[in-house]
Amino acid sequence: MSRANALLDWLEDKSDWLSPIVVKEVRQTVRGREFHYSFGASLVVALGVAFYGAAAAQASEGTTGAGTFTALMVCLTLIGMLVVPIGAFSALRTERLEQTLDLVTVTALSPRRVILGKLMAQAVKLVTLFAALAPFMTMSFLLGGIDFVTIVISLAVLFLWSLWAASVFLFLSTLLKSRAMSGVVFGAAGIAMFLMLTLGRYAFTPWRVFGGPGLSRADFWWTLAMLMTGCVVTMVNFVLLAESRLAVPTQNTVTPLRIGFLAQFLLVVAWAFSFITETSVARSNAAEGLAVLGGLHLAIVALFAVTDDLAVPRRVLADMRRGSRWDWLLFFFRPGAGRGAAYVLVQMALLVLVASVLDTTRDIEDVRWRLTICAYICFFTGVPVYLWRRLRPNRGTPLHLRVVVLLLLAAAVVLPDVLYYVVGQPEVFDLEFGRRHLMNPFRVLSYWPGVEQRGWLFVPALFGAAGLVAYAGLMQMGRLRPAAERIPEGAVALD
Amino acid sequence: MNGAMLEIDGLVRQFEDVRAVDDVSFSVDRGQVLGFIGHNGAGKTTTMRILATLDTPQQGDAWIGGHSVVDAPERVRRIIGFMPDYAGVYMNTTVAEYLDFFARAHDLRGAARRKAVNGVIDFMGIDDLRDRQVEGLSKGLKQRVALGRAIIHDPQVLILDEPAANLDPRARIEFRTLIRELAHDGKTILLSSHILTELTEMCDTVAVIEKGRILATGTVAEILTRLRRKRMLAVRIADGADRLERFLLEQPGVVNVHDVNGRLHFELDGGDDEQVALVARLVAAGFPLLEFAAHRAGLEDLFIELTEGPPQ
Repeated sequence: MSRANALLDWLEDKSDWLSPIVVKEVRQTVRGREFHYSFGASLVVALGVAFYGAAAAQASEGTTGAGTFTALMVCLTLIGMLVVPIGAFSALRTERLEQTLDLVTVTALSPRRVILGKLMAQAVKLVTLFAALAPFMTMSFLLGGIDFVTIVISLAVLFLWSLWAASVFLFLSTLLKSRAMSGVVFGAAGIAMFLMLTLGRYAFTPWRVFGGPGLSRADFWWTLAMLMTGCVVTMVNFVLLAESRLAVPTQNTVTPLRIGFLAQFLLVVAWAFSFITETSVARSNAAEGLAVLGGLHLAIVALFAVTDDLAVPRRVLADMRRGSRWDWLLFFFRPGAGRGAAYVLVQMALLVLVASVLDTTRDIEDVRWRLTICAYICFFTGVPVYLWRRLRPNRGTPLHLRVVVLLLLAAAVVLPDVLYYVVGQPEVFDLEFGRRHLMNPFRVLSYWPGVEQRGWLFVPALFGAAGLVAYAGLMQMGRLRPAAERIPEGAVALD
Repeated sequence: MNGAMLEIDGLVRQFEDVRAVDDVSFSVDRGQVLGFIGHNGAGKTTTMRILATLDTPQQGDAWIGGHSVVDAPERVRRIIGFMPDYAGVYMNTTVAEYLDFFARAHDLRGAARRKAVNGVIDFMGIDDLRDRQVEGLSKGLKQRVALGRAIIHDPQVLILDEPAANLDPRARIEFRTLIRELAHDGKTILLSSHILTELTEMCDTVAVIEKGRILATGTVAEILTRLRRKRMLAVRIADGADRLERFLLEQPGVVNVHDVNGRLHFELDGGDDEQVALVARLVAAGFPLLEFAAHRAGLEDLFIELTEGPPQ
């Protein structure tokens, strides 16, 4: 055996350490036209940029490294935030459309390993493309005006956010099975990403932030750490979401998702808590930010957790019955709408508590405003779901319930004004905040002082009480029942 | 479990208002080949997808090698090989790479992986295709590679959905031989096919499904015996067919006498003794007997009889 063959065999043996998906995708990629085109095009563009930078350096007295680096970063950003995520989307979409995903599913590869494999394959592609531009990056450093740390940080940040974008597109590709609809999702996601790039281009030029006014070195690192942690946590959650879309219904994908989204919530809490040593005004602002960000996060989480099935797959139930010393902790993370309601309520309590600790002004209006955020979340997610479950217990999938919740919210936002102008036909076009807007959570929260001054506080309080009762009702419906009742013959058991 | 390698008990799968699989139950013993027969949309593919852990039943369960497809799908996947009714190939991938990927996906590593890939390539007789792009192969060759993919991890049970579709006559004969070899190696095989004559030669037992319900299971002979209490016989004489028809109609237990290409076909309600007695009476009556035969019913007869419609 020649040395070359021996080396190839050795490399092939070592490839056992890699995900099979990565090996397959890389083999396919290096033969694919898409990769050759993007690789070739980026090399040509980078070469052009480098020549231009060198020529400009010759002609002028100043340094041109920063400009060259910026141009190269734009090129890399396009590759990282558009080409690679599109590749990720198309890789999984093709597997689904060609039904090869079924063939992979019946192997030892779990849905999570499949998704991670796809993501890692995109990481390999990114590394290759980044490596191709490395000589030109070095040149920008040699041209002056940009330091090595900035280059490394920028590349690392871009790499991580590119992977994040790939994870988003992987998740999107799992949403719809039909060719036409997944094409629509793909188009919409592409446009959204393009807008994000256009509007958020400064986010990818950290050196501007680094030297920016009012941001100390320590603040920069802290902000960078928070951003990167947020990126990693949300990326993990997108992977878990994609996994839950690919898994069979009897697999418990809810627990990892609930843990992941709790981590995301705790990250927001940690960000707010980082202001604990700041001035009173800064702390109050942080508490407000926590209420808004945390509230939005909880609203989305509640939309999914509370509308979850009351029934738990038999397999999951069997796992739950096995018992462990972490049972008490896992209670909130396990599947079922009842536990989902408890999971959301605990986070609401944490949000109100942390915001109250942060806010040293102890303004009772602010406390009530934060409680109102929770009240509206409870009302709009709890009441329709509880009523549906009570009135039509055997009908309605989680998807149906989510649509109902969103329609109800949309109606609450739009209907007051529509009814006021169409039915009431007032002579004056009046957008003033009035009693009719108390159904609309966004207007209530925006005009909170007005609610307090006009003595309308009892309405949000009623909404909150109704929401809490609905949550308690859902928890009651999903309570643990004796074993004999809980496992019917089929795959699904009542929770 | 009665030593069955594959056992299905009361499977139900409903899609909206359609009950695709309705209380399906049957079992297959180790090393047996079971043919799964039914019209398009009868519920074959849905049942097979549930067995392959790609779908979940609303009621009932199935056990493969003692593992529930609902409660332990991961364990089931390690002992089954699934071949759907499509090839499922990748672009920009050679045959060897394709098989290598599935070997890796089944957690085969290093020498074990290489041995598995080479073993399958040898067994399937596709050594000359090793470096060809899998998407460029003919349908028949793709089917062959797909079967190789299904057996790459040496599974105990094979679930093959329409495996002989798209194959030319020669490839079908080769495929049949492969299936028999696999069964001889102790693999339990569940396969569906529209080509009923082929199933007769490949399968030990059959299960007939119609509108999601199992109509019959067992060997073709067993099912026919259950279905038919009367024997179907045929007789041909040198001369005097009209007299023979009248004679037969006068015999006890003989019904439904009719002429088919010069032979008189009829049904006899009785066993061997009644058949021997009838032959003796025919000879005694002086009929110039040329042929007397029992009509051997095949899978197609069985299918038509059970489903009251031609196979598709």
